[in-house]
Parts: sequence; C-alpha cells; structure tokens
Amino acid sequence: MSVILFLSVFLIAACGLIYELIAGTLASYLLGDSVFQFSTVIGAYLFAMGIGSFLSRFIGRGLVARFISIELLVGLVGGFSSSLLFLAFAYTQSFRLILYLVVIAVGTLVGLEIPLLMRILKDRYRFGELISHVLTFDYLGALGASILFPLVLVPKLGMVRSAMLFGIMNTAVALWSTFLFRDQIGPRAALQAACLTALVALGLGMAGAERISAAADNNLYADEVILSKETRYQRIVLTRWKDDIRLFLNSHLQFSSRDEYRYHEALVHPGLAAIPEARSVLVLGGGDGLAVREILKYPGVQKITLVDLDPEMIKLFSTNPMLTRLNGNSLAASKLRVIHADAFPWLGETQDMFDFVVVDFPDPTSYSLGKLYTTVFYRALAKHLSRQALVVVQSTSPLFARQSYWCIVETLKQAGLKTFPYHVYVPSFGEWGFVLAGQYPYEPPAQLPDGLRFLSARTLPELFHFPTDMLPVDVEPNRLNDQVLVRYYEREWRDIAH
Amino acid sequence: MTSRRRFLSAGLIGLTAKAERAITGSFVNESQALGHRLRDRTSFAKPTRQVKVPLVVVGGGMAGLSTAWRLDKSGFHDFALLEMAPQAGGNARWGENEVSSYPWAAHYVPIPNRKSLLVRELFEELGLLHDGKVEERHLCFSPQERLFLHGRWQEDLEPAVGATAEDRKQYREFENHMRQFRAAGEFTIPIDLGAKPSPLDRISMADWLHQNGFSSPYLNWYVNYACRDDYGALASNVSAWAGIHYFASRENEDKGPFTWPEGNGWITKRLLTKLARYVKTGATVYRIARDGRRLRILTEDTEYSAEALIFAAPTFLAPYILEGAPAVRGFEYSPWLTANLTLDRLPRERGIEMAWDNVIYDSPALGYVVATHQNLSSRVDRTVWTYYWSLAEAAPAHSRRLLLDKDWGYWKEAILNDLARAHPDIRTCVSRIDIMRMGHAMVRPTPGFLGSTERKTLTNYSVGNIWFANSDLSGISIFEEAQYRGVSAADRALRVFGGAAAIHWP
Repeated sequence: MSVILFLSVFLIAACGLIYELIAGTLASYLLGDSVFQFSTVIGAYLFAMGIGSFLSRFIGRGLVARFISIELLVGLVGGFSSSLLFLAFAYTQSFRLILYLVVIAVGTLVGLEIPLLMRILKDRYRFGELISHVLTFDYLGALGASILFPLVLVPKLGMVRSAMLFGIMNTAVALWSTFLFRDQIGPRAALQAACLTALVALGLGMAGAERISAAADNNLYADEVILSKETRYQRIVLTRWKDDIRLFLNSHLQFSSRDEYRYHEALVHPGLAAIPEARSVLVLGGGDGLAVREILKYPGVQKITLVDLDPEMIKLFSTNPMLTRLNGNSLAASKLRVIHADAFPWLGETQDMFDFVVVDFPDPTSYSLGKLYTTVFYRALAKHLSRQALVVVQSTSPLFARQSYWCIVETLKQAGLKTFPYHVYVPSFGEWGFVLAGQYPYEPPAQLPDGLRFLSARTLPELFHFPTDMLPVDVEPNRLNDQVLVRYYEREWRDIAH
Repeated sequence: MTSRRRFLSAGLIGLTAKAERAITGSFVNESQALGHRLRDRTSFAKPTRQVKVPLVVVGGGMAGLSTAWRLDKSGFHDFALLEMAPQAGGNARWGENEVSSYPWAAHYVPIPNRKSLLVRELFEELGLLHDGKVEERHLCFSPQERLFLHGRWQEDLEPAVGATAEDRKQYREFENHMRQFRAAGEFTIPIDLGAKPSPLDRISMADWLHQNGFSSPYLNWYVNYACRDDYGALASNVSAWAGIHYFASRENEDKGPFTWPEGNGWITKRLLTKLARYVKTGATVYRIARDGRRLRILTEDTEYSAEALIFAAPTFLAPYILEGAPAVRGFEYSPWLTANLTLDRLPRERGIEMAWDNVIYDSPALGYVVATHQNLSSRVDRTVWTYYWSLAEAAPAHSRRLLLDKDWGYWKEAILNDLARAHPDIRTCVSRIDIMRMGHAMVRPTPGFLGSTERKTLTNYSVGNIWFANSDLSGISIFEEAQYRGVSAADRALRVFGGAAAIHWP
C-alpha cells in the first residue's frame, strides 16, 4: 500500500516537472532567447503552484474525489499542452498568451496535488513521517524527470508524445487512486469512467501524434518540426535545433538560419552594389523576406516589389516573432510592395521597369517550376529591365548539378543576356551557384554596404572563378517546349542521392 | 435545422471525399439532324432574298477559310462564304467556359516543313514564325505526352514500361525504316507534292507491319494508336502509305507541335478577324442548280446567283446538294466523339506530371488533351480536358448508328469508366461533360483510296466553274491539306476571274 502511495507521489512530481520543462523548451524553440523563456516559464509555473497550494484550503469535503478530478485535469491539460502550443504557434497570433495560460493552468493544478494528497494521508502517518516521505518522493520524481527529459524523451518521443505519455501517467494515478482510496470516496463509477475516457483520449492522441508526424514527413527532418502547414500551393515546414531554424518547402531545404546570411548576401550584393543608381528592385519568389532584408541596406533603393505566389508564406514571415527577427521585419518595410501572383503571368501584365531583379525560385524539380527557368521566361523578364539593370538568378549547385547550373547560364544567354556566373559556399547547401545577367559587361562593385558578415569588396571578385570540377559543360538551353533542365536536374540529384 | 444538418453532412462528405458529384452536360454542336434533312431532301424554306455575287464558297471549315484567305490576299473581294453551322471552323471549332477555352476537334499543327510554304506564310502572318524561326510561346510545353501503362504513367507514348529487348529492337528497326522513307522524299505535306503511285497504297498498314516482321505487341499498339488518332481507323483499315506518312512526313528537329488552349480554333479565330465580312454562318446550302451560265445557290433565306463555286464542305455531301454532281465513290469517313470535361479539381496523382496529351494504353479511346497546358502559371486549380474517341473498331456505318442511338448518359458513363482506369477519383473531379458527335468526322485513307481515279477525278474536277476543296480529297484530314486544297481552289477561281497571282509550286 505505502509503496504504491509513494510511487504515486513520485509520478505526480515527475509529471509536474515534465510539463514545466516542455513549456520552457517549446517557448525557447519557438521564440528563441532560452534564458528569458525558461526564467519566465519557471517563474510563472512556481507562482501558479503557489496559487494552487493557497486554493487547496478551500477544498473541504470530498477530498479524494477532488484529488482524482484534479489528477485527471492535470493529465489532460498537461498531456495536450505541447500539441496545443504547437497549434497556437502555427495558427494563431497569440502564442505567448496561450503559453502562459497553459503554464498557469498546469501550475495551479499541480500546486493543488500535494497539499490535497497530504491531507488525504494525514490520518495514516505521523505528520513528520508524512512530510519526509512525500517530499522525498517529490524531489526524487523531479530528479528522474529532469534526467529522462533531455536524454530519452525529447530525442526518442519528441515534445508532443512526451507530454501525452506523462498525461497518461497522471490519469493512471487518478485511476488507481479510485482503488487505493475506495473506502474514502463512495460512488466511484463516474470517476472511473472519466479516467478511462481520458486514458483513451490521450492514447489516441499518442497514436495520432505518430500518424500526424508521419504525415508531416517528420522522419525526413533531422530536427524537431516546429511548424508544418499545408497551404494551397505548398507544404511549409519549419524545424529547429538549438538556434538553427530551417525552412523546407515541399521537403526541399530553403535556408538554415545559421548560414542563410552567406546565401542572401551572395544573392543580392554582387549585383545590386554594382548599380549605384538602382531605384526600383524586383524580387521574384523569396517570400521569406531575407533577400528584401539585404536590399533594404541600400538607402538609394526607393521601391521594392516582391512577387510571391503564396500569401501564407508572406503572412508567416511577417507575423511570426522568430521569423521576423530573422528577416529584420523586412516585410513590414514601407518601401516594399507585396504582390501575391504567379510570377510568369504577372510579368506579362505588369508595365513596371526595374533596375535590379532577384529571381529566387525553388529549384526546377518539376516541369511546372521548370517553366520559370526557360528562354521565354527570361525574355519576358528582360522586357522589364532598365538599361543598366542586372538580374540575379539562384541556379542550384554547380558542383552537384553541374549540367543544370550551366543550362541555366545557357538559357539566359539564349534569351539575349550577357551572363556572369559565380558561386559561394553555404554549409547547409554545399557549393551554390548564382548567375548575374544584363545587357552590359559587369564590373564587381568596389564598395559594399556596411555590416555584411560574409562578403567583402576585396574577396567578391573571387566568387566569379570556378574550380576545374565546376567549369562549364556543353548543355542545351531550357525551353518551354523542351525542358532539358528538369531532366538534367532530376538525373544529377538522383546520382548524388545514390 | 435543415440547413445545419445539410451543413454537417456536407462537411462529412467533404471529409470522406468519396462522394460523387452531380455531373451535368449535354450533346453540343449537333449537326446530324440538318445533315439528314439534306440527305433525305426534306423540303427547305424557299429563299426570300436574292443576291448576285461572282463567287460562292460553300463550307466554313479550314478549307473554306483558306480559300477566303487566299482570295482576300490576292485582292479578290467579291465572294461569299456560306457555313451551315452557327460557328465557322469545322474541325477547327472551339468552345469556351469560365475555366478555359478548348478545342472541339483539331488541336495542334506540327512545325511546318521547309516545303510547306503556305503554312509558313500563314504562320508568319499570325506571329507563330518570325523569319522562319518558331515562336516558342506557342509550341507545346514540356511534358508533351505520357502513357498510362501497367498501372502507372510513363513519359512519351512509345511504351517503355515492361518493354523487352525484342520490343526495343523493333522500335529501332521501325525508326530506321521511317528514316529511309523520310529521306526518299515521297512522303510530303501536302501529299500531292511528292506522292507517286505506290504499291504501299494497296496494302494496309497492318499488313505492312506483318510483312516486315514487326510482331512486337507494343509497336503494333503504337502504330495502331497513330492510325486511330490521325485517321480514325485501325491500322488494318488504313493504307500503308498513309500509315507511313504519319511517321515519315515530318522533317523538323524542333520539339513541337504548335498548340493553343482552344486548339486550332486559335487559327480559326484569327482568320475570322481578317475574313469575317465574307463569312455567313447558319447558312445551309440545300441546293445548287445550274441556270444557264450561272449557278443558283439556295439557302433558307437567300438565293445566291454566282458565276463560280468552290465546294469546300465535305465532298460526300455534294451528291445531295449539287445538281449533276460527279459520283463520290470510295470516300469513307470515320465517326468520332469528342467530349470536353470541366474539372473543378485535378485528380490526385503521384509520379510524373500531367502532360499535354495523356493516353491510356489499350483503351478504345485516344485519351485526353489538357486545355490549360499552355498556361504560364506554375499551377492551375481547374481545367478542361478534351477527350477524343474515334470509333474505329467496327464498320463506320455501324459505329455511326451506335453514336447516334445512345444517349448522353451512356457516353458520359463510357468516358468516365475509361478515365477511371487511370484516375480512380475522376468522378469527384468532373463537374460537366459536353459531348460532340460527328458521324463523318474525317476521311479515311483506306487501302487504294489515295491512288484511286475517283479521288483524282474530284480533285481535278472543273466543270462549269465548280471546284472541290475539302481536305478529304487528300485522303488525310490534317490542317495543312485543308489549307492546300482551299488555296488551290482559290487559285483556280482566280485564274477564271483573271485577277490571279498564279502560284508557283516548288
């Protein structure tokens, strides 16, 4: 009897700590600044536990039934806490509010548990013994949880299922309490039914979480998926491991927050810095606002037009605090005009002219994306270039997909543009290629904006040199009626993968 | 309360996504009733108006429109073009709905050969060629074709999935044969430029395959498909010369063909903007009689008195309309069914993307063409499929009866059942199916027809300033032949009227 009693205390304590750890970890995953998140989550949690302890005095009769109900509530709220927080992050604008509400709710309930349990047990043990036993197992449970959490739970189960697992434990404690204290409650069928329902709900939740995360291609991603959204146009997935946030569109990596500055500095500055008179800039693709962040470093640029197909992408990167910190809230810039449109037909309709154009589309993995890399597309684009204008095209890897890269260069040439290919090393991508194109010969800029982390005017010309294994190869241009690029690309990346 | 229940059930249906939707539609562009009235010489209303005009063109399909194009360009403007249907274009007609425009029959033109001067001239005018260079925007985008075979889609129509070494060897041999035929220069477009009396015209394409040891079922399917697609007939009912012509007449290395959402309706539209003032639609010519040196051409509201006439309507109609018409023997026509399916969402698919032309192996039909394929957007939510079915298996008369006897629901089910083999969820995607039945959709180049005296007689017919111009005179129903026949007839008329720029054939 007493072993089981104190095992319950051990479990209750472990559960309480796990919910707290989950809330803290999720908050720092999703919002960053882990010191702040952990401090405030722990503070709020402990404070709420105090409220719980204080409230426990108002519970008079029916102690055991109350205790069981509270256990059930802790199991449910705590068990679903991480799912709730992920959903709040993905679908609402008020993640912080919900976070602290959940923390306070769980903390208050957990704060009620131990005082109530002590009062239930007060007639079975001497006071001194009771305090000693309960607190011993309470602290032991906390120790167990704190060791289990980083070593086993997060890596093996993930946040969603860990929370549910401990929710199940809370509910199990509730259920066996109906047996342990059967002489102290009276009618218990209703309570037992409630316990079983909660167990089923949490069990289904766990099975479902497995299925949901399978659907979210969780296995594809090395890191924790913190957001997964199926929009009309694509599947957006964000992952996070420590301070590394990664964006995947349809399972293809778009950036890693650790080294995206290399990619985006290389995308924007070699071209834009070479056109001091640039006033109007167009960005095609790039709804993450990272290219725009770099363009905003040029005070001379008066107007930026961003054309991206997916409004959800723009919304995500202009409202989510973690992502707006990454793009410097660039999508809120007053110079920026955002247009939700398919770039190719939009080019046919617009009358605007541009001094610099960033073409940052996903890689040509399909014929429908491949259209955006064709002679006809680049000719349509060239009609919107001012005299001195330059275009930069992200062009996949000249090392892994050499034919694909030089095919894009050849296609730009066929469209009547002069091309200036260059490449950089981006650790999360590998060797990556870009092509500048325009009507006139290109001179690398003598000066770059201040505050760049990767590029310098001195080293910039080196990007235009290609080592032997990346030198041009003989390829056909990519045409609408003969999309060789998609076939090159498919073959080359398949060869890498095998 | 009711609305809430309906709302809930709608929600549940949405979740299961299995519910079949109501599919609407009807037969459209029906012309057989009018055709049968002509055949049965039922009484037509007497014209109340008389018009005198030097030249009348009967038939507003591609042949008639090409006649008009030629006459107009040559500075001859005194003619009227009479089309029985409410819409000109014939086999190059098109339709439109809120999703896309779409073809009703012909839907592409291959990149013209160097010697196809007339096509080149027109295409320069329409902006499809610029000084001989093709305008890529109008060439069929990748991926052009795919084939559903053994439960999956493969790229291109030549069956590759499960092909044996022997199959592949025969593909190569077949290609070698065709290369040699191409090099021989006999298989030209238009056919009259190069065709000579040929023993290949006396046997069927199926016989030719057999005689040359082509036993591969895949290759036979492929060649048979080509014959059904181009001539509406099985390889066993098509002359070997015509069968080979399909493979050996195209010299261009560029990937084509030219295509548009509305198919060849794109060309029709542009020709009509130039030629609208000559064209009268809904004008059924029910009688053409000689009246001394002139011709009386009777429609239900107007009687035309003309000095000359170009008969660009299908030639088989001539005996029913034209007094003293020459015998039209040996002309056999394939019955077809075309359906335009409006899809409110695309079927769920894995693997390779939807192509322009999508064919199901071993289907009695020819597959479907996607009207939004030439869209520049990287994605479309709704589309229109044009589904083609040449009723090639049975004798034309039998298939024609079947085509007319069965109602819309029968054909709707037949089409959906066929498509469901490759797209199990097709019934949840389609909201509308409009079906066009054509009893005499295109002429068949049956063995012996191309070399027949009947064909020659009608081609060279020139009695009393009447000339024939329909593409059926070529035995091959393609845009280029229609244009060539139409222009040739125009030139003969121009010689009579004296304003003529005589044409010089290479």
